[in-house]
Amino acid sequence: MAEHAELHFSRTFEAPRELVFACMTDADHLTHFWGPAGISAPRDRMTVDARPGGAFTTVMVNDADGSEYPTNAVFDEVRPPELLIWTESHTGMRVRSEFFALGPDRTEVRIHQTFVPEAFLAPEVQAGFSSSLDRFAAYLAGLAA
Amino acid sequence: MVNYGSMTNQTDATLNASFAALADPTRRAIVSRLARGDATVTELAAPFAMSLPGISKHLKVLERSGLISRRRDAQFRPCHLEAGALDGALDWITTNRRLWDERLDKLDTLLADLQPTKKRSGPARG
Repeated sequence: MAEHAELHFSRTFEAPRELVFACMTDADHLTHFWGPAGISAPRDRMTVDARPGGAFTTVMVNDADGSEYPTNAVFDEVRPPELLIWTESHTGMRVRSEFFALGPDRTEVRIHQTFVPEAFLAPEVQAGFSSSLDRFAAYLAGLAA
Repeated sequence: MVNYGSMTNQTDATLNASFAALADPTRRAIVSRLARGDATVTELAAPFAMSLPGISKHLKVLERSGLISRRRDAQFRPCHLEAGALDGALDWITTNRRLWDERLDKLDTLLADLQPTKKRSGPARG
């Protein structure tokens, strides 16, 4: 598979893989962590139909000023408890989450966020994106400092 | 305050063009070189096993994306990295990294709450 502009995130949790996977696919859990710091993700405005073709819609609400950030995505692959892929309808961004059991109560989550706007669909672009854009960003930020 | 709106709204054409331009390793190397100062096509081509027309093609892509500019008047037309041109792309990356960092922090707390009998080991970052 050709690589695109990808961002990678990974984190290890002290919890069984099934539970971590459930947190990512159950709105009752997602509502507690989907919004980053200072941002809520109300349960009653969330749809998580975790099956291929199912809707994944959320609204993040800024606690300070009430501004809203809606996101509409569709699940592409749902393979409990190891793989979850969805694509955002409005940005074309694809998010692939992999869950690895490091032990009975230890799970590593790897998230690959692929930025695939229309401009990326050109074959010459797909062929070229082989290294981490993230590393490049860090490098440039270092130059600017 | 991080602007989370910028990543949930329609991706704008400028950001698309920036990312597309940066999708190529040669173009990323050119941008890195220009971050240290202006350079002519010949100077830019030197580290690559690539013909001048080959490099020129990459420069045209970078120019169209607005990441670099070239002087029309000077004989050697030095290339110049546009200050701030990368800001949109860098902001997008920073915002997304922070979004997921903070989400995963909260998920770590939630998982500890869901397993009250377990000893909390604190966030382990991979």
